Parts: sequence; structure tokens; C-alpha cells
Amino acid sequence: MFLYKLLISFMITIFVFTKFVMADELEDRVKELESKIAEMENKGGGKADDSSGRKKIYGNEFNPSIGIILNGKYNNFSMKSAEPAVKGFVIGHEGERGREGLQLGESELNFSSNIDDKFYGSMTAAIVKEDGEDKVELEEAYIMTTPNFNFPEGMSIKAGKAFWTLGYLNEHHVHADDFANRPLPYRVYLNKGWNDEGAEITYTLPTDYYAEIGAGVFRGDDYPIKGGDGESPGAMSAYARIGGDIDQDQNWRLGVYFVDGDNSGGRAGNDGDNTFKGDSTLYVTDFRYSLAPTSNVREQELTLQGEFFARNEEGTYDDVVFNGTSYGWYVQSVYKFNSSWRGGLRYSQMETAGVPTGLIGTNMDGQGFDPTSVAIMTDWTNSEFSRVRWQINQDKLASGSTDNQFTLQYIISIGAHGAHKF
Amino acid sequence: MTIKIIILLLLQYTFALSVYANEKLYIFACEPEWKSLAEELGGDKVKAISATHAKQDPHHIRARPSLIAKIRRADLIFCSGAGLEVGWMPILLQKAKSQVQPGNIGYLMASKYTPVIDIPKTIDRSHGDVHPEGNPHIHLDPHNIILVAKELNRRLTIIDPKNKSYYQRQYNNFIDRWENSLSRWNKEIESIKGKRIIIHHKSFDYLINWAELNIIASLEVKPGIPPTASHLRNILKNTNKNKVDIIVISPYDPTEGALWLSEKIQIPFVTLPYTIGGNEESNNLIALFDSSIKILQNALYDK
Repeated sequence: MFLYKLLISFMITIFVFTKFVMADELEDRVKELESKIAEMENKGGGKADDSSGRKKIYGNEFNPSIGIILNGKYNNFSMKSAEPAVKGFVIGHEGERGREGLQLGESELNFSSNIDDKFYGSMTAAIVKEDGEDKVELEEAYIMTTPNFNFPEGMSIKAGKAFWTLGYLNEHHVHADDFANRPLPYRVYLNKGWNDEGAEITYTLPTDYYAEIGAGVFRGDDYPIKGGDGESPGAMSAYARIGGDIDQDQNWRLGVYFVDGDNSGGRAGNDGDNTFKGDSTLYVTDFRYSLAPTSNVREQELTLQGEFFARNEEGTYDDVVFNGTSYGWYVQSVYKFNSSWRGGLRYSQMETAGVPTGLIGTNMDGQGFDPTSVAIMTDWTNSEFSRVRWQINQDKLASGSTDNQFTLQYIISIGAHGAHKF
Repeated sequence: MTIKIIILLLLQYTFALSVYANEKLYIFACEPEWKSLAEELGGDKVKAISATHAKQDPHHIRARPSLIAKIRRADLIFCSGAGLEVGWMPILLQKAKSQVQPGNIGYLMASKYTPVIDIPKTIDRSHGDVHPEGNPHIHLDPHNIILVAKELNRRLTIIDPKNKSYYQRQYNNFIDRWENSLSRWNKEIESIKGKRIIIHHKSFDYLINWAELNIIASLEVKPGIPPTASHLRNILKNTNKNKVDIIVISPYDPTEGALWLSEKIQIPFVTLPYTIGGNEESNNLIALFDSSIKILQNALYDK
């Protein structure tokens, strides 16, 4: 853990340093800005006349943008019996391999709109089949301040329920992923994705390279914490990340994150076994590199991406005192051959913490086995709105168990579709 | 405990106000043509950057980290608009100043100030990646450059009033040079008017309209949907009935389809620069039109 703290403090030092360097010029600049504002006010406001023509306002023009994601797949598993538990870990329902056969994936419905000049709002609901029933899962429902809010430039606050800033994949919706399923650390630590209820503040620094920092407080009722006793905030987070271009065809991003929380209510696994109570801290670091060999990402692109997780738990598993750290990581590379075809490879692995005598023989007892998963995918993209994907996985989640999986999947996007994050 | 100290430090820093030590007006241009125009009109009072370059399809840019850092400090955002940047601009705008948000003085979408062609009568995604706002590649009609320059000049003098007379001189100078070139180009395009061409995408529609060329077919199946073998064979079949003079693509279009068809029909295919940096000669807007017209004239000579 020392390494992570060192990294975070190193990044903070850089930021604070750049701030002091700029502080000298601050005063002059503020004065100049003040006079500029005064001049603009004298001119009777400098608004652009973007109001082209006398457009009639109909009632439905204020309706939010609506986007629909449809996704269906066929799964075939070589291991017909139930999937073995990920050896050494207690995981949630979403972290499992899913159902076999033809099926509908998560059908997502998104509404989003500016609320007024200062707020933006978005809601995403997923309709999924669970235990033979159609259920609505609220994935996101948040408001966010726009740059017109009177915060210092570069700062914004997001509140509600959202896929918070943690590593690379967590901020992205599953339909935007490069693979049909999430890598092992996401399945084990985050139950696929962390979308607790809470609030997060972010600040993009006024630096020549990209640098952003942020922090948040949360209810603590979702993985990786889960089971907060309602005494909010049950969890908090902080992150820092930097990025830039190497040249016009290559760019990179690097980040460090953590989320920490106390769950006296207890976090039980999917089968109700091995309940953890106590303090969990998840440290994440991620990197992403992308290269456009022909300068044009439309035609060819290579991306290289990895995330490393470490989870420290101090508390009890089924009343047995537990104090340990486990690790998980994945690396992946995706290559776009032309505007329609891509291929990708991903390797993920978990490393368990040692268990005290009281937990020997339970799911928590990894017995030195490191669960792994390998995925190979290829997909075909007809337009920005439709994609078909083939994927082969080999999961080795427990000693002596190999599960070869095949997935055929389509992902369709209808209607308004927000711009994709980096 | 250490964690709490780290958070306190982060928050302390987060609330600190900071401003760039930057004398020049910072212009975030989405495309190289607008960066070039900003430099023509802003001279050494502005620093302009372009989010894309000539080899990059401007529809498909990633909202990459360096662009966030750049838009964060922009005093003016200068883009084509009409949906060209819709896939990446909204994400970037979340990180930009209030001054450059839509509707404010620092948000300049060029297509708002020019006539826009190809506005679809019906909008349906089965027609491909259509822009409901019309064709955004407006910079390839030289008359549009004048309209956009006028608006850019207006914005510059409002955002940076202390350099007003400087901007006015730069503007007058540019317009003079542009109008001289325009009368020359009007003569030059006489020889290529009415020629029949095949395009890849609608990137050159404004140039084609202005030079009065006729589009016979498009290599893309539908806008944004890449060429397929069967579509190319269909075009080939139809060219027996319809004579074609030339195939035209942009530096960021794939060449395979154009090459195949050009060999089959025995007509030349040319890569027009499309924007600044699209070929060696095109290092400013006037050179861009000079080069485009020259390439067309050479390819269409004795056709």
C-alpha cells in the first residue's frame, strides 16, 4: 500500500508545485479579467446572437434526449454444472458468468438533458432478467453542474447514483466495453461496476497537460464496500490522473484511485456465505495507451489498457478476525483492422490473501490458487450504432476447473447517443 | 488517518483558484481550416490549436486527455458545427469555461453563419449517418470563408477589445487577399464545370456545388457506412450507362475502393487536400483552394 500512497502524494506534489508557479501571475491576470468584464458590460453584454430565425417552440422540444441500447447474446459453456466460486473470494451476483443459451442482455433506456443553465441530468435504467423475472435496475440517476455554475473554472459536482470515477472501465457503460464480459477484478471486487449513491467533486487543473483530481462521499451500500449501516457517508473516494499526447497519433492516460468504507451491516456473498464486516479499502491504478498507425482512428487503431487492484480488508469474516490484502489485475489490447473489424485479447488474474485458521476450508481459502481468465474477441461494426461480437473465454476460477465459454453478441444503439468518453 | 490527510490535501487544492499565465487569446479550433482562419485574423494576438489534423476523419475523434487540457483553457471554440463534432465535443465541453458554452460569446459554430446544403427531408438512420443539420463541410465553398471570417472578426473584437484595431486590420487584409484569389479561382474553374465525378463521402459537396461538378455516385454505401464489394460492382455496372470523368477522395478516406474502381473504368482517381495539411502545398486557406483546383484541372485535362 505504501507504493500507492507514494504515487498519490507524488502526483499531489506536482499539482501543488504547478499552482505555486502560477500564483505570481494570478493577481495581474485577475485585474486584467476584471477590466475585460467591465468593458464587456459597457458594451451591453457580449452574447452571441445564436438565435437564428423565429423558431416556434413546441411543447416537446424540451423533452430529454432518449437513447436505447439493445443487446442480445448466445452463451455456451463447456462446464455444464454450476460455475465454481472464484477461489479465495466472495463475490456478488453480477460477478457470475451469466446464463447459458440464447438470451437478452441488459436493455438500457437513457434519458438526459440540460435541466437549466447550471445543471445537467441523466437517468439510465436497465431491464434485465434475473431468476426468471424481468427486473428494472437503476444504473444511473444523477445531476451534474455545468460549467455555467459559479464554481472555479474546471470544477464540477455530480450527485445521485452514477458509475463513479474508479479505474478505466467503471465510468463506462457495459455496452461500450471492448469485450462481452468484464475482467475478473471487476467481477470480484465491484460486482461488475461501482454505482453507489453519493456525490463526487472533480477538478480539471489549468495545466498544459491533462490533470484531473477528484473526491467523493458515498452511502457505502454497493460493492466494493456494501452493507453500510446507513450512517452516511459510509464510503469515500479520491483520485488523480494525468494524460497527454506523445505525438499526433499516440496518446496515454494514467491514474490512481482509492475508495474506502466501513460496513458494519455486513457484505455477504451471492450465496449468503462468508459475510465480511469491517473496513475495506480498494486501491486502483489504470493506464491506457492508444496509437493510430495511419493517423486516422476511423481506419486503424491499437489500444493497450490495464488496471491493477489491491483490496485491503480489516474486520471479520463470519466473526473470524481477518486482516489481509488481495490483488487483481488485467491487461488487454484491441486492434482495429479497418473501419469495420476489430480483434482483442485480454488476460486477467486474481491473487488471494492468506486466511486465518478459522476460515480454512471456506470459499475464502484460496489455497495458493490464482484464478485466471483469458478472453479473445473479434467484432464487426456496421455503423456507429450496430456491432456484432464473437468471444471465447477460458476461465480457471478454482483449482482443476477449466470452463471454456463461447459468446455471440449483438449491441445496438437507437436514438440519441451521447458522445463517448476517452 | 493518512487517507484523511490525503483527502484534505486534495480538497484544499481543489478549491484553490488558478488561472493560466497566458497573454494570448487561446482558440480551440476543431479542424485545421478554422485554426488557419483564426491565425489569419488573430495574427500574433492569438494562440490557435486544432483538435484534428488532415489525415484524421473529423467525425471520429477521441475525446483524448490532451484535448481536455486544451479545451479547459480555451477562450474561443471555433468549429464547423452542424453535427460534425457531435461524437466528441459534448464530453469536452463539460470541461470548458462558461464563456465557451453553447450560446455564449466564445462558442462559434461556423455553419450557423453560412448557407447549409444537403439538409435531409426525412431523417432515418437507415440512410446512414445523416446529419439532420445538413452537410457540415462548409469550408470548401470560398464564399463561406468570407461569411465565417466576418463573424470570427466580430467575436475577436468583443472577447479581446483592447486589440480591436489590430483585428480589424488583419481582417481587412485577409478579405482583400481572399477576394483577389476568388476572382482568379472563378476563372480557373470554368474549364472543369460540368465534369462528372464519383466521390467517397459528402466531404466535397460545397466545392462540387461551387465548381458546378456533377456527382454520379458515392463509394460509401450510405454516409458513414464503408464501401462494400457489391456496392462497388453496382457502381461499375452503372458507369457503362453514365460516363464518369474522375474519382475524388479525401486524405482520410481509405484508398482501396477508389483504386479498384479507377482501374476497372480506366479513369483517374485523385486525393484532394480537403483541409490545411492535406497535401504539401496546402499550408493555408488560399493555398488549399489553389491546390484543389490545380489537382482537378490536371486530372480533367483533355477529358
